[in-house]
Amino acid sequence: MFDYNFHWRPVMKSLPDLIDAAFLTLQVAVLAMIIGIIIGLCLALIRLHLKGPLYWFASSWVEVARNTPALFQLFFFGFGLGAFGLHLSPYLIVLAGLSFNCAGYLAENFRGGFQAIPDTQMRASRTLGMTAWQAYTRVVIPQVFRIVYHPVTNQMVWAVLMSSLGMLVGFRELSGETQFFASRTFRIFEYFAVTAVIYYVIVKLILGAARLLAARLFRY
Amino acid sequence: MEPTLTFFSGFGINDFWFLGEAAMRTMWISILSITLGTLFGVLFGWILYEGKLTAALTVAPVLDVFRSVPLIIQLVLFYNFAPIVGLNLDAFASGVAILTIYAAALVANVARGGIEAVDRSMRRASRSLGMTYWQDLRYVVLPIGGRAVFPAWVGVALGVMKDSALVSVLGYVELLKASQILITRTQEPFLILSIAGAFYFALSFPISRYAASLEKRWAQ
Amino acid sequence: MFKKFIMGTTLVALTAGPAMADTLDDVVDRGTLRCGVVLDFPPIGYRDANNEPAGYDVDYCNDLAAALEVEAEILPVTWAERLPVIVTGRADVVFGATSDSLARARTVGFTIPYAIYYAQGVVNAQSGIESIEDIRGKRVAAAIGTVPEQEWLKIAAEWGEEGNYQGYQSENEVFLAVAQGKADIGITTNTAVLPITQQYDSIVAGPRMPWTTDYTSVVAKRQDVTWLNYLNLFVTHQVRSGRYGELWGKYVGGDAPELRIPGVMY
Repeated sequence: MFDYNFHWRPVMKSLPDLIDAAFLTLQVAVLAMIIGIIIGLCLALIRLHLKGPLYWFASSWVEVARNTPALFQLFFFGFGLGAFGLHLSPYLIVLAGLSFNCAGYLAENFRGGFQAIPDTQMRASRTLGMTAWQAYTRVVIPQVFRIVYHPVTNQMVWAVLMSSLGMLVGFRELSGETQFFASRTFRIFEYFAVTAVIYYVIVKLILGAARLLAARLFRY
Repeated sequence: MEPTLTFFSGFGINDFWFLGEAAMRTMWISILSITLGTLFGVLFGWILYEGKLTAALTVAPVLDVFRSVPLIIQLVLFYNFAPIVGLNLDAFASGVAILTIYAAALVANVARGGIEAVDRSMRRASRSLGMTYWQDLRYVVLPIGGRAVFPAWVGVALGVMKDSALVSVLGYVELLKASQILITRTQEPFLILSIAGAFYFALSFPISRYAASLEKRWAQ
Repeated sequence: MFKKFIMGTTLVALTAGPAMADTLDDVVDRGTLRCGVVLDFPPIGYRDANNEPAGYDVDYCNDLAAALEVEAEILPVTWAERLPVIVTGRADVVFGATSDSLARARTVGFTIPYAIYYAQGVVNAQSGIESIEDIRGKRVAAAIGTVPEQEWLKIAAEWGEEGNYQGYQSENEVFLAVAQGKADIGITTNTAVLPITQQYDSIVAGPRMPWTTDYTSVVAKRQDVTWLNYLNLFVTHQVRSGRYGELWGKYVGGDAPELRIPGVMY
């Protein structure tokens, strides 16, 4: 049965490089999340309050992001845009693709969050003499934040997992780096097994950090 | 070189069929994995609910691994591990195996949520009416809990459908792989990616819309 | 239950172990020959207008299957996968324009050379690259896991220009990148240059790369010497029967190169 000799030495030798690549993975995922949150918030507010072309633009963004595979979106930002002479580096392809995708999913989360806050609260705050801005930032946003906190954490995990698609567009993040080394030593199984462990650790760290943060933020 | 031999040729009617066939393969692998994954997922969800501590120590961490490691890494690992232990699985079988487990891991959480959504007093009432445990599950928990988590399940199913694009890394010619092959041959990335994207959108969008409208109707 | 499971697996492991025959027997018994072929490497391996595998390597695979009187099963692989499929036993043999480097020979077994190539660049017409020196400061592309990638990275390291290199999943993505202008030069094999430059107006033939000729071999399991012997015999028969020259003429054009390494016994 085991007509296969496991060789772990090359993997251990390139472990420092893999860890470096893991930080790149984390970096691109965090950046994509920040961009995704900003755009997602805009898309959600547009869909809630506006009509006309802007509404259609925001809705198409959300529906395309949610109803096509992430890998397809990455290919589109790669060779798809390349057909128009627009050349993104692999880093930017992954960043743009992830941000596009995250924005679409987050927009729906935010929309649900805003809809969960009854309009009467806004009116009540205005009656109390708050400006619209004050009412929004002090009454509505903190509650929305609490509602979307959990989905946003989940989306962060998805962003890390999705960034692994970078290997298919030539980006040397954790998976891409793994593939590069595996292709030199032909030890695909060993390399990807170690990489799987690294991803698992990253995900657990993110979830742990999110839980700690939540315990501090939502104490009362 | 013989002049009849061409290595590249334009996009033709043939290729549209080729894409259509590939879309069928995407549907087929998705339906198979979603069905199997749902069956296993519901079983795991029930174990998670009933098993309490034992399940938390056995099934839960295993399922957690499949949710914390990128699907693409799981696929590459499994595809390369299977022949090592003497299983000669092709890309399709490996894809179905991993997508099934992946779907099951996601469905398990949904299913547990569904069981938890049924009020305890309701279940006690059904038992005191003389229903057996299984009757209670079948006639009380399934309709009520199932309805509560149906939208979440649709989300998982559509997610698996989109993620089936990743089986392309194993060489299975589903929709996205087929479009890559055609891009290679015809060198028309934008046109072909647009067609593939439209296919996915046409598969996913109506279902997600339908689920959303059902959710709205049931909420009333 | 768990104990039973462990005992069961051990039993399977023990009984399955000694049943290892060599690949030659396996292939004949199975009735199919599983051939790994890289299909994004025209004219050596590509998909024809019906999206079916075709090319020099594909015909070689069919010839081998015919010699063994079995069915050929083409397993399309990427450059990076072509050796792992042998290591894990997914394919019996790989016809994949694989250079017989000593590093690779630590992992897989090679036959005598069955085709000879050299590395050449294809450049974007606007890049102005004519010689190796012109490549300084330009963006270079090659397929992941190939000899051109490894050799180029050595030169790039000397120049301190590793940052200008970009690896792609397939050779075709390399060509597309050069055509679209994502890269200035893509490194490929001389045989691919003609079809590529015919296909794209924006691509012209570039300089020959400064590393040595690629002697490419058929790949099989390193441990399986009897199978490698058979494959060696197959390669010599292809030449003796004139099939080698015929296929080379059909796909690449011109006279087939001598499969001989001057100045040394092989």
